[in-house]
Amino acid sequence: MRTFTISGQTFHLDRARVCSAVAEQLPEPLQEHFVIVDGRRYPPKQVIAAVTGLDRADFTTHQARRVLTRLGFVAARQTYGKGGGVAVPDAARGPFEGRQAEALRPFIGRWVAIRGLEVLVAADSPADVVAWLSRHGQQADSMFRVPADAGSVGGAAPV
Amino acid sequence: MKFRFRELPAAGSVATRPVVDVWLEGLEVTGLGCLLDTGAMHTRFSADIAEIAGIGFEAEETSRFAVAGRIVEGRPARVGLSLRDAVERHDWDAIVWFCDPWPFDFQLLGLQGFLRHFRVTVSAYHEWVDCAPETDEPFLEPAGRHQLP
Repeated sequence: MRTFTISGQTFHLDRARVCSAVAEQLPEPLQEHFVIVDGRRYPPKQVIAAVTGLDRADFTTHQARRVLTRLGFVAARQTYGKGGGVAVPDAARGPFEGRQAEALRPFIGRWVAIRGLEVLVAADSPADVVAWLSRHGQQADSMFRVPADAGSVGGAAPV
Repeated sequence: MKFRFRELPAAGSVATRPVVDVWLEGLEVTGLGCLLDTGAMHTRFSADIAEIAGIGFEAEETSRFAVAGRIVEGRPARVGLSLRDAVERHDWDAIVWFCDPWPFDFQLLGLQGFLRHFRVTVSAYHEWVDCAPETDEPFLEPAGRHQLP
């Protein structure tokens, strides 16, 4: 447990408490910065607001990032375009040179909405994905479930 | 309209599939990732999608199908579909079977509902699908032909 002062208030936080605070929340649309919590990319301010109850106007993205990285979460900056944001394996192939597959890999088995190579949201059902898109005024190119096993990736029917 | 294959994560590598994004009336926030299925008579979507899009069913008609080794029950509905890219959009009316259960990752585009409306070229070598509308005139699928012979 570590102690942080945010917006003049003291909070005792650890990783488990942060994970628990956002476990039931789908990530909101990403702007520039994000932090990875339980494999999902969240805006840093969403996470800090969830775990502290503070209003987002009370602290900056930079403060939120600093707190979360000190708790050991990976923070990064959203990048777009070729080669941006997603690690490309050496043996990459495919029409997007592996970037689309790598962007989808953290969401295997989940319903996703994508725009270009960006995964906007991942959820447990198509209804949850559509609700999120509507709530945040977002439009996606495609919604589908990322195949969970080699059989369905290869085209075999589920048994 | 030309679409690159969808890349999917596979164990230690990348798999590519001929996925086309189709837009369904009533669901304007996203297209639906659909697999081309040239061997399928019908276009089949999940019944969950019908519920989300608010699709109504005129008849109580249901049929049981074997889809990819699974028995599913489907209901037909005439719906508006569209195909879009950055500069072009093509709309058509189609009969789609909405099926339950639907344990599949994608919706399926078959002869009725999709392939009758487009001249489709697939290059698996270059990993793209090209869909050219067969006609600029609206082609209304005959309601009496959505049953298998």
